Amino acid sequence: MRPLPYSDPAHLAAHQFLVEEAALLDAADYAGWLDLLCEDIRYLMPVRVTTARGAGFDTLAGMGHFDEDMYALRKRVQRLATEHAWTEDPPSRTRHFVTNVRTFREDGGDLRVESALLLFRSRGDTREADLISAGRTDVLRATADGLKLARREIIVDESVLRTQNLAVFL
Amino acid sequence: MIKQVVSQVRQGMIPAHVYADPEIFALERDRLFARSWVFLAHESEIPDPGDYVVRRVLADSFIVIRDESGAVRVLFNMCLHRGMQVCRAEMGNASHFRCPYHAWTYRNDGRLAGLPFHEEAYGGEDGFARRGQSLLPAPSMGTCNGLIFISGDPGAPPLRDYLGDFAFYLDFYTRQSPAGVELRGPQRWRIRANWKIGAENFAGDSYHTPHTHASVVDIGLFREPKASKRKEGALYVAGPGAGTTYKLPPAGSGHSDFAGQMRYVGYPDAMITAMADTWSDRQRALVADSGFMVSAATLFPNLSLVHNWPQIDEAGTVVPFISLRQWQPVSERETEVLSWFAVDAAAPEEFKRTSYKAYLMCFGSSGMFEQDDVENWVSITDMAAGSMARRLNLNSRMGLTADGKPIKPPLAAFAGPGVAYQGFGEYGQRHWLGMWSDHLEDGAR
Repeated sequence: MRPLPYSDPAHLAAHQFLVEEAALLDAADYAGWLDLLCEDIRYLMPVRVTTARGAGFDTLAGMGHFDEDMYALRKRVQRLATEHAWTEDPPSRTRHFVTNVRTFREDGGDLRVESALLLFRSRGDTREADLISAGRTDVLRATADGLKLARREIIVDESVLRTQNLAVFL
Repeated sequence: MIKQVVSQVRQGMIPAHVYADPEIFALERDRLFARSWVFLAHESEIPDPGDYVVRRVLADSFIVIRDESGAVRVLFNMCLHRGMQVCRAEMGNASHFRCPYHAWTYRNDGRLAGLPFHEEAYGGEDGFARRGQSLLPAPSMGTCNGLIFISGDPGAPPLRDYLGDFAFYLDFYTRQSPAGVELRGPQRWRIRANWKIGAENFAGDSYHTPHTHASVVDIGLFREPKASKRKEGALYVAGPGAGTTYKLPPAGSGHSDFAGQMRYVGYPDAMITAMADTWSDRQRALVADSGFMVSAATLFPNLSLVHNWPQIDEAGTVVPFISLRQWQPVSERETEVLSWFAVDAAAPEEFKRTSYKAYLMCFGSSGMFEQDDVENWVSITDMAAGSMARRLNLNSRMGLTADGKPIKPPLAAFAGPGVAYQGFGEYGQRHWLGMWSDHLEDGAR
């Protein structure tokens, strides 16, 4: 299947959705971010592994860094809003760079959107900053409130993450 | 230097620099990791002949593989000829490993199967006999409940002897039925923290839970409504391990028999029946009579275990999970964490699904408990690297009076082996640090 042309309004809307989402995350507006998600969202991040070319797989079966439903994502957001989420207090300075956006129209009318993500995360004043590079495949659904994220699969480009935890969203 | 350090450590006063000191790290490499029993993998990760995972002990890479006969082998991942890694994937299935450099080829039991131009280059078997040539096996290997350990010491005591009284506690995590446990993962990530801090934390730090993990109580993820409930739990030391427990509901609460207590933490009846049949009278008594449920633990040096029971949905359904985790030292200031989800292989599929969800929310690279732990440990390591840390001995004497006696007697009614105390105290950490001191002080061998 070919991606929609860049001039297609559906592509432009999908691209804008991702950019607006990134702005919410970098502003730590997690409540606003939850509003972009469908109630039946699935938010996945498999563990990547180094395997021989031809092995036929490069993610672990049955284990991810994330495998979240709305309950789990709400809990994560609620936690960050408490006064006791030490790992993000003081907060990280993050920048979600979103690029290489390709939009595909699915049979049911949903949009499948592939993008590349580079997350820069800086904590404190003495630590080296972290970079997380990943590809994402999203399913965006048209709703009465505009496009919403129904599914996200994050394919991280490292088998061993170089960040102290995933107290951030990708 | 090391004599002074261990003398302080044995008094429960830890020179802060040990958490970021390259000289200490070199001693840990040479005197501790070179000869202690170290966890590598679980048999469930390599179920079929040819299945392998590649794991390290510090800088040493090992292939953990099930050979064609079904036996588990641990092979040093270095070609006999020029030292190339013969396997550069971290997992897979292989009947042979062919070195990319000159194509020396090894069977999956480690034996050298062939090399190019054997006749022309070496004069055949007369020049270089292939027979008897094998990738180096780990000097010692042992398994318990499917957990595969190796030691760099060819004269290491048998693994079972080493585990001693801790094997009793290991069963709660890794032998809930005759089918045994299956491991999924590991998630791997690097933290800029010294490896000892996590190992000590899991060995007995119930004292950090009320504060470090206040947020998971705030949001109602945690079954136990108050983190201060931690102080009612028992802390035990047993063999080369130590751990924490939670106090279960008292008699008359409707939970006080074995099945009732296991239901309280969320196990389905089919699993409870299996556990009751699999565990000894004494193991059941720890739950039913003593009223304690195992939680975090560390097996010296760097394997930790955790068992907890969060609420995994809006309805408040409580589901327990188990995780094994390894603090793999990279340097004095960096650690690779390997974190596995563990579940009884015979558990119902629905339990496996929900227990996995419970694990992901609580522990591992994204876990809401673990996130705040790591923030603390990175910060400690950062501080320990400076000059002032050389003037500071960290107080690890909790539970002791000034003259070194326990502030309260050990629990008389505790069904498990070893010594247990109820309430807060750094008994487990001191036990762990005592073993650490024994290794670092012992330069012989």
